[in-house]
Amino acid sequence: MLNKLLKYDLKYMIKNMSVFYILSLFFSITTRILFSLNETVMVKIIGQISVGCLFAMIVNILINTMMRSWIRFRDSIYKDESYLTHTLPVTKNDIYNSKFIQTLVFFIFGFLIILLSLFIAYYTKDRWLELKGVINAITTGLEFNTTLFVISFIAVVFLEVFNAIQCGFFGIILGYKNNNGKIGLSVLFGFVSYIVSQSIVLLLLFIFGLFDSSIMNLFTNNVLIDTSSMKLLIVLSILIYILIIGLMSILCKKELNKGVNIE
Amino acid sequence: MSNIKLLEIKNLNKSFDNKEILKDINLSVSGGKIIGLLGKNGAGKTTLIKLINDLLTPTSGEILINGKKVGVESKKIVSYLPERTYLNKQMKVSEVMKYFKDFYSDFDYDKAEKLLKDLDLDINKPLSKMSKGMQEKVQLVLVMSRKAKLYILDEPLGGVDPATRDYILDTILSNFNENASVIISTHLISDIERILDEVVFIDKGKIVLQSEADKLRNKEKSSIDEIFRRTFKC
Repeated sequence: MLNKLLKYDLKYMIKNMSVFYILSLFFSITTRILFSLNETVMVKIIGQISVGCLFAMIVNILINTMMRSWIRFRDSIYKDESYLTHTLPVTKNDIYNSKFIQTLVFFIFGFLIILLSLFIAYYTKDRWLELKGVINAITTGLEFNTTLFVISFIAVVFLEVFNAIQCGFFGIILGYKNNNGKIGLSVLFGFVSYIVSQSIVLLLLFIFGLFDSSIMNLFTNNVLIDTSSMKLLIVLSILIYILIIGLMSILCKKELNKGVNIE
Repeated sequence: MSNIKLLEIKNLNKSFDNKEILKDINLSVSGGKIIGLLGKNGAGKTTLIKLINDLLTPTSGEILINGKKVGVESKKIVSYLPERTYLNKQMKVSEVMKYFKDFYSDFDYDKAEKLLKDLDLDINKPLSKMSKGMQEKVQLVLVMSRKAKLYILDEPLGGVDPATRDYILDTILSNFNENASVIISTHLISDIERILDEVVFIDKGKIVLQSEADKLRNKEKSSIDEIFRRTFKC
């Protein structure tokens, strides 16, 4: 049944997000065209407007993916639509997993659309080489493989944002256990669980720091850590976030399985 | 023949903020009956129905459907019509029909299509473009197009004009099999009285009366509607 739930969750998201994807790609094309034309004052002005619109759409993709995931979660589990969700012959775990995977898919997809839009708008061979040069300079200093560095960096950012989204889910679950002030409490519990999860990341890094003096330097002074410790820090961050996301997911499902009280 | 009841509720209690909404509810429903769950507004009818449908969590007590606790298996055999519009309004009627077909193996797509046609409802229309009354009719059709064992209808006549009420009651009567049971919650008793086999009166969160409809009528020498008015006179 998970695949069926997921099918409808993905359909919902594509219906609501496609307008931002299309507009982002549209403005990336207009930006590209306008910047390739002769630079008259008017073309420059329109070009800048196009750039503004492109970045507005990029921000919209990021914010809307997050907001729509939360709204979809709340609506189908606690609002009118929940009358259907909770009477379907599916487990609460499947309901949660579907929302989890849907968010994951759209976060990755949104990210790819953003990369594609930036590529369309700004790609030139010179710029590409320039960007590569900057990344190479960083990775050479860190004795890191370039591709691995880019992937690791994106993974840390991705996991961090995904953790924030899931904290929002947890906040909604806890907030809607109360009879009054559900929205306010959802925001509060979401925020608190995010702070707690970030504190756990720091705590675990601190514990690792007890065995690695250069990681401990992050907590005790402002000296840059060495390259091998930087690698360890990135790997640790990824592992800790995966662990926290996994634990938070288990916690969310456990709370959801205790039952709901729909208005 | 199995002694397992279609629905069995034992010592059920539900409280919100220390306020008791349902108190020690005991109820059993066997197959092949139409039961009227009758009570004034705020008596606890919807709360009871929501508990049976896993939309509320009991404070204490037990609900068994076909011998099993409320869960995936019970939801396969219960077809529930809430008192509100609950379908995703971005969807077209045809999409909602596919949705039901995907999740409920007992959903009869052709029957739903026929019933919608009878009611002159366009399946290619999005729900957002339909009036509340039309949406309620779509919901009723979807719910009654399942070959469920237990139908639970919460105020199915509430937002419907009197002319359509008879059609709805006929739809209910002609669309459930003889081993299935229907629980109808309403305060529009005179409209449904003719189809009821059993009645359950609920007041202030307690079941105050459970009887076969004919027995009660003969005993009190009056209609269920009149008995209700007498029992719950303000």
